Amino acid sequence: MPVWQVIYDELKAKDENFEIISVAQDTGGEDAAGPIFDAADVTYTSLIDVNHLISSLYNLVNVPSGVWIDEEGRIARINEGTYAQEHFNGAFGTNEYVPIVRDWVKKGAESQYVWDTSKVRESIVDRTPEAEKAQPAFLLGSYYFQRDNEAKAEQYWTLAQQLDPTSWNYLRQDLLYEEGGSAGPAWQQRVEEVEAAGGAYYAPLEIEDGAN
Amino acid sequence: MHAQLKSLCFGLAASSLLAATAAQAQATTVLYNERVVEIGQTLPDANDLWVKPEDLTRINDFEFKPEGACYEALCVPVLQDRDSDMYVTRGGQGWFNVTGLADKLQQAYVVDHDDGVWSFGTMPVKRQSFIRGGMAPDFELNDREGNPVRLSDFRGKKVLLLTWASW
Repeated sequence: MPVWQVIYDELKAKDENFEIISVAQDTGGEDAAGPIFDAADVTYTSLIDVNHLISSLYNLVNVPSGVWIDEEGRIARINEGTYAQEHFNGAFGTNEYVPIVRDWVKKGAESQYVWDTSKVRESIVDRTPEAEKAQPAFLLGSYYFQRDNEAKAEQYWTLAQQLDPTSWNYLRQDLLYEEGGSAGPAWQQRVEEVEAAGGAYYAPLEIEDGAN
Repeated sequence: MHAQLKSLCFGLAASSLLAATAAQAQATTVLYNERVVEIGQTLPDANDLWVKPEDLTRINDFEFKPEGACYEALCVPVLQDRDSDMYVTRGGQGWFNVTGLADKLQQAYVVDHDDGVWSFGTMPVKRQSFIRGGMAPDFELNDREGNPVRLSDFRGKKVLLLTWASW
């Protein structure tokens, strides 16, 4: 997050019409996410989304995820694991994403990294009718969580995970409140299962050749 | 004369029956996106959520009109001169089937019957330009000071929308 602030300052100086909207997917609300925004001294738009509404609206299943939205409200890229840089000597994250954001801010629609509508449509995650029900199930669980009804929160968050097993957000948000935590054995086991089946934890970052 | 009296008695009986059922109706809570809507009276039904027409708009912005349940240019026709699976009249009070509308629009929902909490997903009709046309869905969330922020406020700008989490 402090890295995004540096990038924001740099790109905002070049183009006044560039904005970052950063949305925490956090049922814990201000207590959970607020201090992280504060520590980074962010000046871009920062929102805390206790119901994971943005992930559900944009069919995103993991964090961090990034979406490019142009001046007319068209999506120019979507559903990418968007770290600002590599962390822990490349254990996770990437240094490849920020240069393409820079290119987009400079060239707009002329940037080679802007996707056409068909590529955008292909990149929007499909949802089954069952997975469509995961959103209201998660919302119901969050309603109970915010009212300190842990049994029902657990019931409906578990239902959400069953309805949409592709959502890492629903899984990890729930695991946070269980022994082992959001990056503990239960999460590691799921990652291994998915990778063994040929899947990936993050949607692959597709950066075309010829980056400047 | 007899027939009139009989019908009057029947009418009274029917309306007192309705008063009894209405009194049994539990208060209902409806969740839709960021909304938590408390509904004072619903028609008791094991499967569907029936509300007074004026409550519909509070739930999902649809308006009950002579031509049906309408949102912007979309109108779902609703018969109103007789009972149907979308609308019934009991003791002069009309009741609209919110879950019936959701089924017609393929809107997902989940209910906790014990507490009478109904949770609705985003309507697919509001997502067509996203799924089919790659347009960014608009949203409204409060910022940390409690001021509403809409994506549409940023029209004319390039927006990098980033999700993250503390967990």
